[in-house]
Amino acid sequence: MLIVLDVLMFIVPALFSITIHDYLRHGELSLRRKLIFFSIYLLLINAITLAVSYMRGVRELNFSDMTLSYRLKYLGLGGVLGFLVPFIVCLLTEDIITIGGFIRYGKRFIRDIKRYMPYAVWAAKADLGAEVASSYLNWLWWLIEPFCMMIIYTVIFGYVFKAKEQYFPVFIFTGITMWGFFSRSINGSVNTVRNGKDIITKVYMPKYILLLSKMFVNGFKMMVSFGVIAVMMLAFRVPVSWNLMWMVPILLVLFLFTFGVGCIMMHYGVYVNDLGYITGIVLQMMMYLSGVFYSISKRIPEPFGEVIEKFNPVAFLISAMRSSILYCETPGIMVIAVWGLISLVLIALGVFTIYSNENAYVKVI
Amino acid sequence: MSKELAIEVKDVSISYRILNNISIRSTLFHKKTRDEVFEAVKGVSFEIEKGGILGIIGKNGSGKSTLLRSIAGVFSPNSGSIDLHGHSVSLMALGVGFKPLLTGRANIMLSGLLLGFKEKEIQERMDEIIEFAELGDFIDRPVRTYSSGMHSKLAFAITAMLETDIMLVDEVLSVGDERFKKKSLAKMKELISDEDRTVIIVSHSIETLKELCDKVMWMHDGEIREMGEPEAVLENYAEFMRA
Repeated sequence: MLIVLDVLMFIVPALFSITIHDYLRHGELSLRRKLIFFSIYLLLINAITLAVSYMRGVRELNFSDMTLSYRLKYLGLGGVLGFLVPFIVCLLTEDIITIGGFIRYGKRFIRDIKRYMPYAVWAAKADLGAEVASSYLNWLWWLIEPFCMMIIYTVIFGYVFKAKEQYFPVFIFTGITMWGFFSRSINGSVNTVRNGKDIITKVYMPKYILLLSKMFVNGFKMMVSFGVIAVMMLAFRVPVSWNLMWMVPILLVLFLFTFGVGCIMMHYGVYVNDLGYITGIVLQMMMYLSGVFYSISKRIPEPFGEVIEKFNPVAFLISAMRSSILYCETPGIMVIAVWGLISLVLIALGVFTIYSNENAYVKVI
Repeated sequence: MSKELAIEVKDVSISYRILNNISIRSTLFHKKTRDEVFEAVKGVSFEIEKGGILGIIGKNGSGKSTLLRSIAGVFSPNSGSIDLHGHSVSLMALGVGFKPLLTGRANIMLSGLLLGFKEKEIQERMDEIIEFAELGDFIDRPVRTYSSGMHSKLAFAITAMLETDIMLVDEVLSVGDERFKKKSLAKMKELISDEDRTVIIVSHSIETLKELCDKVMWMHDGEIREMGEPEAVLENYAEFMRA
C-alpha cells in the first residue's frame, strides 16, 4: 500500500498538471510535446516540494521511516502546485507573455476594475432587486432557505448520527453559509460567459466582471446569513472575544480564493461544454471533505484530518471561522496568510488567462 | 488631408474557428478534430474622417456585422489594426444586451454604465430615454415581457440618447411601427448632423443609405468590392442584386 503511495506522491501532481495544460491548449497537444511537458512538470513540482520540505527540516528522503503524514502533505502540496504551475507555464510559453506583459496586464486589471466596478455593483443590486420582486415571499427566502437547511442538518447529524459539537446548530450554519457561497459561485462561473452572451456580443467588457457581479450577489446573501448567525449566537449565549475580529480576513480570503478559482473555471467553461458535470461532482466530493457538518480534525483520524484541513482551503477557512467566532480561539494566522497569497496568485493567473483569451470567447459561443 | 481621421482600419482580417468546442471525451480519447477556419473579413482597409458618415451594404454573410463588432471592440481582429484615435464608441444593434429579468429602467442604467457613462449622467438622461422609447408602463416591467418591437425601441433610445463620438448602427433603422421609424430616422439625422460625430451604418435598405450617407462601401465575401459616392455604388449594387 505504502509503496503505491510513494510512487503516486511524485507522479500524481505532474499528471494533474499535464491534464490542465492539455485543456488550456484546447486538447491540441501532440504526444511528443505532452511527454516533454510532463517531464518538465515532474521535475519542477518535485523540486519545489522537496525544497519546501528541506526548509521545514526534512533533510533526506528515507522511505523506511517516513510518516504517513509526511507523504500526504507532500501529495497535498504537489496537488496545489500541480494546479498552479501549468497556468504559469502556458502563459509564458504559448501566449508569449513577458515580464513586461505581466506588468501591463496588472495595470490594465487595476484600470478595468476601477472603470467597471460601478457596473458590477449595479448589476448585483439590480439582480437582487429582481429576485425580490419576482418571488412571493421576496427577501425572506434569503433567511428561510439557509435556516431550513440548518434545521435539516441539525436533526440528521445531531440526532441521527449523534454529532457532539458545542453549539451544534450555529456550528452547522456557519459551514453551510460559507460552503454555499463557494459552491454557488463556482457552479455559476462555468456558465457565466454563455449566460452573458447577449451583453458581451454587443459591447466590450472584461469578462471576469460578470463573475464578480455574480459573486457580489452571493456575497450579499452570505452576509444576510451571517446576520442570522449573530442572532443565533446571542440566543445560544456563545461567549465572544477579540478573536471575533479574525472573521474579516477569513471572509476576505474566502472571497479572493473563490474569485481566483472562479476566473479559471470560467475560462474552461467557455471551451469545455460538459465541464458543468465535473464541477458538480467535484464540489459534492469537496463538500464532504470540507467538514460542513462535522469537525474534520476531530472526526477524521490522524494524520488525514490535519492534512485535509491544511490543504483544502475551504475546509480550513470554515474551521478557522468556527474557532474564531464560536470557541474564542485564534485561528492559524500563518495558514490564512499563505492561502491569501495563493489566492492572489490564482486571481492573477485567472485574470491574465482571461485577458489573453477573451477575444476568442465571443467567437466560440 | 485637411481633416483629422476618426477611424483608421488597416488590412483587417477576422476569422472564426468552427468546431472549437471540446468535450472531455474527445480529450481523453484524443480524437483529433481539425479546426475549420472561416474567414469572415479578408484584408479590409479604409478610413473615415471625423464627422463622416459611411454606409456599408452587402448581401447576408458578407462580413458587415463582424467588421462592425470588431470596430466596437467586442473582439479584436486576427491581423491588421483598428485605430479609433481615442474616441468613444457605441454599437447599436438589434437586441442590444439586456438582462431579461431586470426592468427596462435597470437595463438603461446597466447599458449606460457599460458604455462608460457615470451614474449621474445616466440619471439625468433617464427621462429623455424613457420618453423617446415610448414604452409607457412597461419601463418598470422586466424586459422579458417586452415584444420584439419594444425591445428594439428601447435599444435605439439608449444609444441615441447616450451620445458617443462614434456610432455604429447595425440594421436598426427599420424597427418599430411606421411612426417610430420616422421618429428614429429624424433622430438619426439630427445625430448625424453634428459635425464631430462619426457614423457607420450597416443596412440593406438602399433608400436609407442614399438619404443619410456621404460615402458607401459595398462588401462582398469579406472584401471591399466597391467604395465611393453613394449614387454610383448603390446603383451597381442594385444591379448586382437583380441579376
